[in-house]
Amino acid sequence: MEPLENDELSDLELDRVLREWNTPAAPARLRAALFPHRAPWWQAIWTASVRVPAPALYVLALLILLAWLRPGPQVLQPRAGLDFNEWKPVAELRPKVIRSNNVPN
Amino acid sequence: MRPEDAFDRYHQAVFSFVYRLTRRADLAEDITQECFLALLRAPGRFDEERGSMKTYLYGIARNLVLKNYRDSRDCQVDADVAADPRESLEVGLAVERAVAALPHLQQEALVLFEYQGVTLEEIAQVVGAEAGTVKGRLHRARENLRRALAPLRQGKDIHGTTGK
Repeated sequence: MEPLENDELSDLELDRVLREWNTPAAPARLRAALFPHRAPWWQAIWTASVRVPAPALYVLALLILLAWLRPGPQVLQPRAGLDFNEWKPVAELRPKVIRSNNVPN
Repeated sequence: MRPEDAFDRYHQAVFSFVYRLTRRADLAEDITQECFLALLRAPGRFDEERGSMKTYLYGIARNLVLKNYRDSRDCQVDADVAADPRESLEVGLAVERAVAALPHLQQEALVLFEYQGVTLEEIAQVVGAEAGTVKGRLHRARENLRRALAPLRQGKDIHGTTGK
């Protein structure tokens, strides 16, 4: 092996000196940028968002408004004071048979 | 190996490799991200028979660093790269500058071998050269550094004065 010149480091010295150069750690945001965290489905259903086009949203809002303003079917209210206790079964049934016109009764 | 597993295993190594070649943390972050994005987009490009995942990722990172060099060629080397190491306030910074002053091919061989623990054969795969060629580059890199960093020898302080 050639003798070292005065102005050169030995292998050992060079190795020692090279070890002094350190690098910073890779930032943690790298992982998040490449592999975004996905919530499980049971979490996602509460946090999910849906993008709706504005015109569709306007139409939907209008339909809801119309449905709310439209009067519902009229329900006849029972007459005040009507009591089911007044109802009685039919005392006597008198059926009346109606025949056609050309058959005499 | 899933891209996520590859990331967990090698992202720090890729980041360090790129940082040592570029000396910029922001660029190292961008290139590391780009490197794993390439793996995510086309995982089928990795062929186990042609080399390990580690050498594949170093290869992508190296190409991205070279592309960055070409794109910013007008920037050239920082003014402090060729500065006298005795002017450095710490040994680490002096080493960083001395390595940055090496020719690029020597630089990448040295960084991969000395810092990333990559074998000569693996470096040859990464840089697309013969192992003997890589060995020569590594030898010349060390020779250059022996001289460039001589002022840091024990017995001399970093300002170049002889100790007692």
